[in-house]
Amino acid sequence: MMTDMTFVNPGKGSAFVRTKLKSLTSGKVIEFTFKSGESATELDVITREMQFLYKEGDAYVFMDNTSFEQYNIRETLLSDFVKYLRSNDTYQVLVLHDEAVGVRFPKKVWLKVTESSEGIKGNSSAGATKTVETETGAIVTVPLFIKEGDTIGIDPETGSYLERG
Amino acid sequence: METPILILHPPAESYVEVFETTILDRYRKKTHAYLSTSPEVPLKKLLVAGIGNCFSITKSFRNTEMQSNIHNPEFTMIEWYRIGVPYTEIMKDCEDLLLFIHTYLLRTREASDQQATKDLIYQGAHIDLSKPWERFTVSEVFLKWANVSFEEFLNFDTAKKIATKKGYRVEKDTSWEELYNQVFLNEIESHLGRGKPTILYEFPSSLAALAKTKAADPRVAERFEFYIEGLELGDCYSELTDWKEQEKRFGEELKAIKKSGGTTYEYDKDFIVALQSGLPECSGIAVGVDRLVMLFADTAKIQDTLLFPVEELL
Repeated sequence: MMTDMTFVNPGKGSAFVRTKLKSLTSGKVIEFTFKSGESATELDVITREMQFLYKEGDAYVFMDNTSFEQYNIRETLLSDFVKYLRSNDTYQVLVLHDEAVGVRFPKKVWLKVTESSEGIKGNSSAGATKTVETETGAIVTVPLFIKEGDTIGIDPETGSYLERG
Repeated sequence: METPILILHPPAESYVEVFETTILDRYRKKTHAYLSTSPEVPLKKLLVAGIGNCFSITKSFRNTEMQSNIHNPEFTMIEWYRIGVPYTEIMKDCEDLLLFIHTYLLRTREASDQQATKDLIYQGAHIDLSKPWERFTVSEVFLKWANVSFEEFLNFDTAKKIATKKGYRVEKDTSWEELYNQVFLNEIESHLGRGKPTILYEFPSSLAALAKTKAADPRVAERFEFYIEGLELGDCYSELTDWKEQEKRFGEELKAIKKSGGTTYEYDKDFIVALQSGLPECSGIAVGVDRLVMLFADTAKIQDTLLFPVEELL
């Protein structure tokens, strides 16, 4: 399944499409650059709103908000996103042939800071920063003014801090 | 030099799509016009007129170059030319330019930050900008990272076989240039400029429409690009001075544009006339200024260097 694409124009010549492809069995991601115009099979992937319930072994259990059916997603298919999953929150789950195969990353996730270290990394060009832990266990680099109990916005794609709530 | 943005004849390049507009006179009589895709042609006309070494920093426009972290359809380009020198001299200019910018920025930063590192840091990687940079020919990188003999790959039939064996899709209308780029983009480009800038030189002639071919081997052209952390920053040629060859290549490019359904226009006859009176031997380069800003501001996307990136306006 293609998870990301961008166009490439090498110095000379026609356009190409750089993609990230994710294996729906192993969760492994590879990069591949296609010639522009190459055909590919369209997958019957649909998006459903589901609530994350709990983790059970290697599986993350979600419930469809309309049908109340439960779906399991294997950890390998969620990759880094597991760090941001919070129980009872609703996510856009990708479903292929009635099997949940992944989550569409939101642009931003809001999480509470549960632990804030005092460690200071001096770097004035980017502003002083420190690391904090969120309620879901994700470690995020944030500006010094962030305190325990604050809610912060994070880009799950890059894991970087965006803003304070 | 200040070069025009509104022009009547873009340089014919089949891989560049232009922005088209219309000039109206007082009687609303129409003339097709375009936005400049590069300052190359006006600068070369000035070189013919005897201006000498020169440069231009200007806006350039390339249509369809969207949905990419390293392209904005409107961008800033610095282009410079040196008279009477081979393109290897421009390689040194690039080394000096980047070192100059970096040293200048370090000076302004160090006053407020004693612990600052002297290395250039881009997206977490430390880059040593000191001279000389790493230099590889296209043939060398094909062998080193794609395990392909470029000598063999230059033959279209052999290239098809090699690409098929590697698992690329080769169809009836697949061109040699597409196979070249697909191998380059998939297997080579990401290795370039890691930890140290890479100068990639001696490109196949078919990929260097405005460059001189190498005297000892006409299959390759005197063209180089330089890369830092996989980011392509500049493209340089020993400039083609032969007007007949230039006119022929413009013709071929326009044919390719027609075939691919791109915007068609007439080539600049005035430029050919200028070349007839003699472009001095020279080398020139175009460097993307927005990409330089990306590098020194440490941003992964060109859009983050622009206050009003095109995609946000749509």
